[in-house]
Amino acid sequence: MPEKLRPFHIAVLMHMTQSGIVIFTLPRNLADYFGTNGWLFLVPCIVVSTFNIYLISLVFRLGQGRSVFEIMEQTIPRPVLYPFYGGLAAVWLVFGCMIGKKYVLIFQMLSFPTTNPMVFKLAVDILAFLMITKGIYSISKAATLFFWLSAWMYLLMLWFFPAFRWERLTPFILKGGHNQFKGAMEIYSAFLGYELSILLFPYVNKNKKAMAGVYAGNLYLAVLYISLAIICFGFFSLGQLKKLLYPLLDLLAYIQFPFIERLENLLYGLFLFPVLVTVVMYWWAAQESVRRMLPRIKLSVLSFLLIAISYSISFIPKTLDAVGVWITNLGYAVTGIAFGFPVLLLLLLLIQRKGGEVRA
Amino acid sequence: MEPDTQNIPTLRHILDEFDQCADLSHRRFPELSADIVYFPHTVDNNLLIQEILLPFDRLQADGLDKLFLQSQFVETRESKAVVVGILEGCVAVFHGEAVYLLDAYGPEGRSVQQSETETVIAGPHDAFVESAPTNLSLIRRRIKSSHLKIIRCEIGEISKTTVYILYIKDIANLKYVQDLQNRINRIETDAINDGGTLTQFIEDMPNSVFPQFLTTERPDVAVSKLAAGRIITIVDNSPTAISAPSSFFEFFSSPDDYYQRWALGTALRLLRFLALVITISFTAMYVSVTTFHYEMIPEALLRTLAESRNRVPFPPVYEALLMEIMIELLREAGARLPTKIGQTIGIVGGIVIGQAAVQAGLTSNVLIIAVASSAIASFVIPSYMMSASIRLIRFGIIILTGIWGNIGLVMGIALIVIHLSNLTSLGSSYLTPIAPMKTGDWKDVFIRAPFSKLSSRPSQSKTMNSIRQKNKK
Amino acid sequence: MHRQNYSLARLSLILLLLLPLLLTGCKSDERILEKLGLVQTASYDLAENNRIKVTSCVPVIDPDSSARRELLSTVSDSIKEARIMFSRQTDLTVVSGQLRDALFGLKLAKAGLGDYIDTLLRDPSIALGVKVTIINGDAGRYINHLLEKEAAGNSIPNTTLYEFSRDYNDDGIDPVAPIVKDSGDKAVIDGIALFQEDRYRMKIPAQDGIFFGLFRDDLRQGEAALHLGEEDGRPVVVMFSSLLNSRKVKVHRLGPGRFKVELLANIQGSVLEYTGHHYLNKAGVRQQLERDIADVIMAKAKEMVSQMQQHNVDSLGIGIQIRNTLSYKEWNQMNWREVYPQVEIECKAKVTIKDYGKYM
Repeated sequence: MPEKLRPFHIAVLMHMTQSGIVIFTLPRNLADYFGTNGWLFLVPCIVVSTFNIYLISLVFRLGQGRSVFEIMEQTIPRPVLYPFYGGLAAVWLVFGCMIGKKYVLIFQMLSFPTTNPMVFKLAVDILAFLMITKGIYSISKAATLFFWLSAWMYLLMLWFFPAFRWERLTPFILKGGHNQFKGAMEIYSAFLGYELSILLFPYVNKNKKAMAGVYAGNLYLAVLYISLAIICFGFFSLGQLKKLLYPLLDLLAYIQFPFIERLENLLYGLFLFPVLVTVVMYWWAAQESVRRMLPRIKLSVLSFLLIAISYSISFIPKTLDAVGVWITNLGYAVTGIAFGFPVLLLLLLLIQRKGGEVRA
Repeated sequence: MEPDTQNIPTLRHILDEFDQCADLSHRRFPELSADIVYFPHTVDNNLLIQEILLPFDRLQADGLDKLFLQSQFVETRESKAVVVGILEGCVAVFHGEAVYLLDAYGPEGRSVQQSETETVIAGPHDAFVESAPTNLSLIRRRIKSSHLKIIRCEIGEISKTTVYILYIKDIANLKYVQDLQNRINRIETDAINDGGTLTQFIEDMPNSVFPQFLTTERPDVAVSKLAAGRIITIVDNSPTAISAPSSFFEFFSSPDDYYQRWALGTALRLLRFLALVITISFTAMYVSVTTFHYEMIPEALLRTLAESRNRVPFPPVYEALLMEIMIELLREAGARLPTKIGQTIGIVGGIVIGQAAVQAGLTSNVLIIAVASSAIASFVIPSYMMSASIRLIRFGIIILTGIWGNIGLVMGIALIVIHLSNLTSLGSSYLTPIAPMKTGDWKDVFIRAPFSKLSSRPSQSKTMNSIRQKNKK
Repeated sequence: MHRQNYSLARLSLILLLLLPLLLTGCKSDERILEKLGLVQTASYDLAENNRIKVTSCVPVIDPDSSARRELLSTVSDSIKEARIMFSRQTDLTVVSGQLRDALFGLKLAKAGLGDYIDTLLRDPSIALGVKVTIINGDAGRYINHLLEKEAAGNSIPNTTLYEFSRDYNDDGIDPVAPIVKDSGDKAVIDGIALFQEDRYRMKIPAQDGIFFGLFRDDLRQGEAALHLGEEDGRPVVVMFSSLLNSRKVKVHRLGPGRFKVELLANIQGSVLEYTGHHYLNKAGVRQQLERDIADVIMAKAKEMVSQMQQHNVDSLGIGIQIRNTLSYKEWNQMNWREVYPQVEIECKAKVTIKDYGKYM
């Protein structure tokens, strides 16, 4: 019997998909693009992402939990949809792959600077492959364990309370920023990942609680982001925060225990867990869309092919900045999909409802 | 169906069948025109005297027919059944045309003794022995309920090992029972010698390093598993009982947790999970820090660590593997030798070799501490099977960290997690109660809450009767 | 079960393929502990032609060696270039991941430390916890003595790279750092170096350090010996210990570009030594003593503040306080360096004697 995902696991899965490599740069981007009290910009982000999830839950409700592919294929002929599926798969596949590559490149800044990054990338991809072949239920189980293995790290925030000063936050609201549209898109990409819940419909129970899991995962993420950002704004001074490229690394490096120091060396490793889940989920989404086009192909062969393709693509950008540019641009596409896809589906559902062709 | 002549059990047939079985005993009673055939070492001598020899002594030939009306004598018309009967410890009595089987099974066996591999400090000390009837009696005397059901199966083409599946009706999930029974019946092999072997035939993923079924040799553990809605399998001639389904975290609890006060039990459980972390990561962290991540060493430890590494000629990973292999050799030698010599090996190996290795500059003393503490931590894990698996995994992790440092460690852990999340036990998730998340179970998995709080059975057993007790304090 | 056998075979195949990959390479990235020259203290000084003299102290690990540490010294154009030169001087790989103390010569500090701090922070192997100390004299020469100084003085707080960079990049406060001088065979704390931006301007002598500390921030621990004038020809000294201080700031706006700032230090502590002739168990005596102590502190603070205003260093963070009462526009239009010397700063102290030891 195929097991269904429970709301808690959906929440954890979505949370782990959403949190990834962006967390390292997020506080800095907030300070740089939005200036004083930039963390406040997270609030509209939460509102927007929650609204987006609301759209998705509307699709879930109106479509009565049917797979989104079924909804589309009911009205639009398949061959017309194929390019669309292909586009979705391509964007998701490469997005996931670039996140993995960025993780590896940042890691190489800390240690192993002369090893070929693609060796590490290969190892990450193999882990992802092992995870993806067993299906979404196993992914969610692994994500849950990964969540518990990495969740305790947020307690380390307590370490920064003694040096924290509210004065450093300044009373000014979002002053001294620049390039705010680009910044907004970049910061919003920190929330991306929830949109993949639209593909989970066939794997969840058809009740309201399923979508509550997605909301909860998003909210938990938001709480973490906001607390981390406030800590950064009160611990570092604004000018300093703007200069630090990866403030989270500096935060972690500041922690000293009597028996171990420079925790960023170890804890950056632990961030592999959320990054791995993010990568796996995007690839899984790509795999789901490709499977719609090639239903005959064996699942493990398909995942192997997809991962092989993405691995070869990840050879292209060589530097951290180049990867950053790829991620930013793909981030636009993924954000577009996050909003466009549910809207499109809602339109289809409304048309279908008018035509009275909704199947039970 | 017409019984063909081959199938009619005659004395000649049977003796032919057991041709060249020197241990077969055949006694004639010419005055009664009766013959008895049996294996003396499988039957209980007292029973033989009481049920056959004494009556035969008293009776005349015609009185025998009456004797055989008693229910312990089972008339058998099939040659094959007689052969099987004799093999299983029956006495075959041939009287005229008729053949009767008397079950006098009672071979010599070890008496019930203390458990060697799963010792507890407080609580019952008896352990299963090799005889399944004795083992069943150890369980029956703890569960005086007609709801304790026992299914009997037989496996092994030549060994014909009897396997008993025990469960409690209305508590255990019959789907699991059915599944387990199917799996056991599907086995095609010549002989099964132990419960440990049997598990590997019936596990969901026999190639995994992790045991997916809990094995125990303690009747009290078996009974508590039964009461929790799990299924116990007992194999004849083996002191190992198998409990299924099991979860990864179940292997970290010991019956001692329940026999002591709850605060102590909780502390011990947490200690064991700490031991898991130490076993997996201690030596690996040493390798990782000394090979790649020198920044992580605090100032106060820097000199100690660097000085201890100073004279060592090998890279840390080889050094660590060398010492780990040494410890495993010691452990294995100790396990194979009689207890007294085993202790000597421990002292010679641990103290003499360890000390000498440090003085000779072959290893650093910090490493000795790391290796020893992770070995000790591995023995804290109550299940021998699990502790052995984890010790094996540790080698993989050490090699990974030797290559890639911390990220190798994390990747190793990720590999374990991914593997664990793919595992199932009788089709249920091996990671219960973390995935699927059952917070209700946590109070009996990660801690040992007071008994008044342990009111429900574990979710993994998918019981229809989950309330375990109602007495609210 | 066959499916699983297959998956395991695949897994082992992957691992087998991976193994040679893993075993090759990486050698260049190994940092085996005993083969490293771990720089624990580095000093930077200005040499001729604007070059920098860098001296690094590396511990000698060999227990048979009589020398505990080895000094490496070179003159180069940049800090990092020096590290390459050091590697040529020794058979060890010189690394900076264990750097604990960064010492800067006074000449360099006068010229500005900003670039050097930035260079240190750019290196991912250097954490924010490195202590920054200014050397009154030639930094390289005294590096050996300085290592013994640690325990000597703790009335002057440490400054780490984090704090220096934080205050340097904040527009409302100027950084400070302890300054040390060589006195024959060992180094002693000379006082607190005050910076304007990143340039050394003035110092506060060591014995007055506590007064500076009281008005810069909350204190959790400290002690002060106060001279309360004379009595019968004998100096009256109070040893005020276990100080707990909470600082409050009030800002009054007197007009455009004119401010009055009240700094209130609320000090608690115990009297360990008192050479006056009064009995401290009398409440009246104690209250008088509290007032006397407060007067001394206020007088010292007033002198200190006026010096700081003369040198135009805002080490007490008055700017942050004023900034937080203004609007963003007002603060940005104001040239804080011009306004600061004119700010009326009033230092007030309230002293509470918590206990006076176990003897009358």
